[in-house]
Amino acid sequence: MEIRRAEIKKVCIVDTAVVTALGNTLQDTWKRLIKGDSGIGPIKRFPVGTYDSRIAATVDDLRPIQDRSIIYDLIGRLLAGLKDIPQDTALITATTKLGIDNLENIRRKKAARAGDVLPSSMPEMVSGKLGLKKAGINVSASCASSTIAIAQGSAMIASGQADAVLVCCADIVTEFTFSGFSSLKIVSPVPCRPFDKERSGLTLGDGAAALFLMSDERAIQEGRKCMATIKGWGIANDAFHITSPAQDGSGLASAIEMALVRGGLQHEHISAISAHGTGTMYNDLMELTAFNKVFCGRKLPVYSVKGATGHTVGASGGIEVALATETLAAQTVPPTAGFQNPEEGAEGMISSKPVYLKGDYLLTTNSGFGGINAAILLERGTNL
Amino acid sequence: MTIASITGIGWVTPMSMGCGRDYKTLTAEAGKLPKLTSRMIFGERLPRFGRLDGYSKLGFAATGFALKDAHLDQWVEKRPIGVIASTVYGCLATDIDYYETVVPEGGAFASPNLFAYTLPNVFLGEVAIHFGLTGAAFVINEPELSGIAGLRMALNNLILEECSIMLAGFCDAGRPESFQYPVEVTPGAVFFVLEKTPGDETLSYGDLDMDIEGTIFFKGAQVQNLQNLMQRCIAVQSI
Repeated sequence: MEIRRAEIKKVCIVDTAVVTALGNTLQDTWKRLIKGDSGIGPIKRFPVGTYDSRIAATVDDLRPIQDRSIIYDLIGRLLAGLKDIPQDTALITATTKLGIDNLENIRRKKAARAGDVLPSSMPEMVSGKLGLKKAGINVSASCASSTIAIAQGSAMIASGQADAVLVCCADIVTEFTFSGFSSLKIVSPVPCRPFDKERSGLTLGDGAAALFLMSDERAIQEGRKCMATIKGWGIANDAFHITSPAQDGSGLASAIEMALVRGGLQHEHISAISAHGTGTMYNDLMELTAFNKVFCGRKLPVYSVKGATGHTVGASGGIEVALATETLAAQTVPPTAGFQNPEEGAEGMISSKPVYLKGDYLLTTNSGFGGINAAILLERGTNL
Repeated sequence: MTIASITGIGWVTPMSMGCGRDYKTLTAEAGKLPKLTSRMIFGERLPRFGRLDGYSKLGFAATGFALKDAHLDQWVEKRPIGVIASTVYGCLATDIDYYETVVPEGGAFASPNLFAYTLPNVFLGEVAIHFGLTGAAFVINEPELSGIAGLRMALNNLILEECSIMLAGFCDAGRPESFQYPVEVTPGAVFFVLEKTPGDETLSYGDLDMDIEGTIFFKGAQVQNLQNLMQRCIAVQSI
């Protein structure tokens, strides 16, 4: 199967849904994000007495349905926000630990469906609820899981292998994940402060997102609105360390450059960056180094939503791409909640207030354990 | 139209392990996986290898054999080679072990070393570091292990020229004994090296193609799963 560049199909985002600690819809999350609100608060889900941090951005009314993990409540709310998903849609989900709370429940001899622990259950559940013909697969790539799922979904459409792909992602805060990140000493005792010189680590969050991707041909055929176009994507490993990013930013820089090449754009075209921005010392420094390298020192607006939504791990890329469609549509860069004073190198790039955006192209980036980095390049939606 | 040539195969199963070119036939029998050491696989002691969990050792070994089979195990500069690994149970055994360190003291003594391996893609980071691979590296979770979805994505990445070399395969240590679930997976790992333009044509086991529906063909016949593909590649050698 030979694909010439001229044959590569255009990938449109035609629908989105988001659930975060800020709200049960994309619009609710966006409105609170723009106001500078944060969903971070005390954890009530499990005992936190032994940890340095006792906060997270949880969706507090998530409940287990019978023996199911609470993530199924989250996914159920997410899918309720989607409409008109055709049965022939291909499905890619993204999660790191899906219903890992059920592993905790099994260990504590509580009623728990074992299958919820396996990430491969997520496509089965989503596919079943939406009545899709094919079950789909799950992508697991730590904090870049959903970014890579979007990239792979886009690749399927671009190459003509599919003309409609639904990407769904979700992760939750549980004792398992919270204790793990705490053991690595990267959880902040106070709400995270991305790119701030006083930052002291990340804050975890619950979150889910769905992005419905279509070829422009099918979107026109079905009379769908193109909220944004996925112009390019890039994935690269820095081959440096399994839990720390390469400080020269080489992996992320490669991923961004691949996305620019795929999109046929130069770095000057990019108007803003939705960064991974976890608030950890190493991540934020690495990102600034990579941006400086690719954008040749140009000071463009950079923001992180994690001071508001928390770090939603495998779901973060999907949530951030969905919010980036709003950023482009509203021509407004959202504030970075928690940010006050810039880290060295971040001066003039990050803001605690909304910033006017003039431009059509936005980059989103994520990086994760295992040395993985991924970038998605979005173009503002147009009438088809 | 050929998308890629298979230039290397590596595997670890209960019955055998090694590189494709070391074998003329394969037997498929169930059993327990061998205890893996770096000396057994790489001929030298790798301090990091001993720290890995069983699932990671399995994937590390099979990718290492595959790269060796394709003459890609030695390197000076990092290379844009990607890896896609399919799994069902992934690192679940490590998840269980890790959570045992959380329960006793409410998380006060949770093991950071174990937690680092509770993401199924982390072994790909170890592989990337050891072999200098900078391409896309991620895991696909399938309800039942065929490895076809991962192979399809790897071929798609080659079609779209995101990498010129990809590894695709599966890695699964099987269902942990303490985890009650009705899906059994034969433990083992197999990886294939796929090269868009092989540097050495004599290393090719044969060519892979894919139609617009995503159906994959090896030497013109449809590929059903990766075990079957491995058997067919080895059979090519014995002709």
